[in-house]
Formats: sequence, structure tokens, C-alpha cells
Amino acid sequence: MAEFEPKIVAFLCNWCAYAGADLAGVSRLQYPANMRTVRVMCSGRVDPVFIVKAFREGCDGVLVSG
Amino acid sequence: MTQKLLDLSGIGKDRLHFAWVSSAEAQRFVDVVNETTASIKAMGALDAERFALNLEASELTVSGETIRWLVGKEVSITTKGDVYGRSWNEEKYETVLHSELEREYQKNLIYLAIREGASSVRDISAKIDVDLLRVSYLLADLERTNLVEFTGMQDSKPVFAAL
Repeated sequence: MAEFEPKIVAFLCNWCAYAGADLAGVSRLQYPANMRTVRVMCSGRVDPVFIVKAFREGCDGVLVSG
Repeated sequence: MTQKLLDLSGIGKDRLHFAWVSSAEAQRFVDVVNETTASIKAMGALDAERFALNLEASELTVSGETIRWLVGKEVSITTKGDVYGRSWNEEKYETVLHSELEREYQKNLIYLAIREGASSVRDISAKIDVDLLRVSYLLADLERTNLVEFTGMQDSKPVFAAL
């Protein structure tokens, strides 16, 4: 069996982590493709309900980054 | 708060990561992503089917009024005190938040267990793994708020239904 690839939902702040992720792409840094990114305008926008919902929809982990 | 709840529901707080990354730190972002992926990978897949009830109860809890008010009022309660003029330190606030979280979560679990067909206190307790006394205590609470109804006796056991 292939190695387990987790599904991780990442809530990224538009102004901080999302820009950081963008820069990582531009500077061609390699990172795992397990992230499913959700861009939010501020990490304060992330409601606990979103996180629980993400787990309910079948993801294995959540990252909130701002 | 959400990490505490995930711990209560058996999912484990380690599945939720928080990290602060500024827009100029591409390398740091890559490190954070690597770290998160590695730790989730080590934990293995989340069996959403098995935790379906726990997750639904968690969602009800974080969308419920009690917890949302309590969390929203944190700063004003811990700095200015509550409406009765009592002042709370952060430690006390955390304790209250934790016990409320547990209570709301268990109440929601009971509600869902009844909806799924468990009807007597013993059935509910076995289904959600909360002890008998606690279940009956919380059931009285649910009854008061009209979420659960006492429908009568069956084989000398009280029977409940979700409304």
C-alpha cells in the first residue's frame, strides 16, 4: 500500500501566511502537497465551526496560520 | 478552546495546528507545512465515520449560544468583571470555560444519542461512554430547556425522546 497521504486543510490569512505561501511558490521552495488551502482575509475570521466542519468532511488535520 | 474540545471528543488536539507566519517568511511557511504534515502523517487517518457522533456534538457545541457568549465575553469578563460585579481572573475563566465546554458537549452527545435511538439512561450512557449519574443529571437539564422529553416508563425504565 502506498504511504498514507493525509488531507490537511489550511486556513491562511491573506496578508501573512497566504503571501508567505505565495512567496514560497515564487522562490520555488518545495513543500508537501497535502495542504488544501482556504484563503481568509484574517485568521481571526476562522470560526471553530469551520474547523469542526473540516474534520466532519473527512480531513485528517487542520492548520490555522496568520 | 477548540483544541480542548477536540480533546474532549476524542479526536485529539494535535490534529489542529496554529502557526504565525509573516508574508516575508517563505522558508518559515515551508517549515510549518512540513512539520504539520509530518505530525499528522504520524497520527494516521482520522476515522470520520467512527467519530461522526462526537464531531456532530462538537459542531453543535461551538455553534451553541453558551460557548459563543462565553468566548466572546472573555476579555470583558476577565478585565472588567461580569454583570454581577464579580471579577474573574484568567485562571478562573479557563476553569469555567472548560467545565462549560464539557457540559455542553456531553449534553449535545446525549441529545444526539437519543435521536439515534438510545432511549433509557443506561443505553445512552453505554452509547456515549459517559457515566450514569452524569447522564441523568444532564438529561434533567436538557428536559428543562425542552430539547428532550420524558415519554413514560417501559419495563420500569424511564424512556426519553429527542424533540
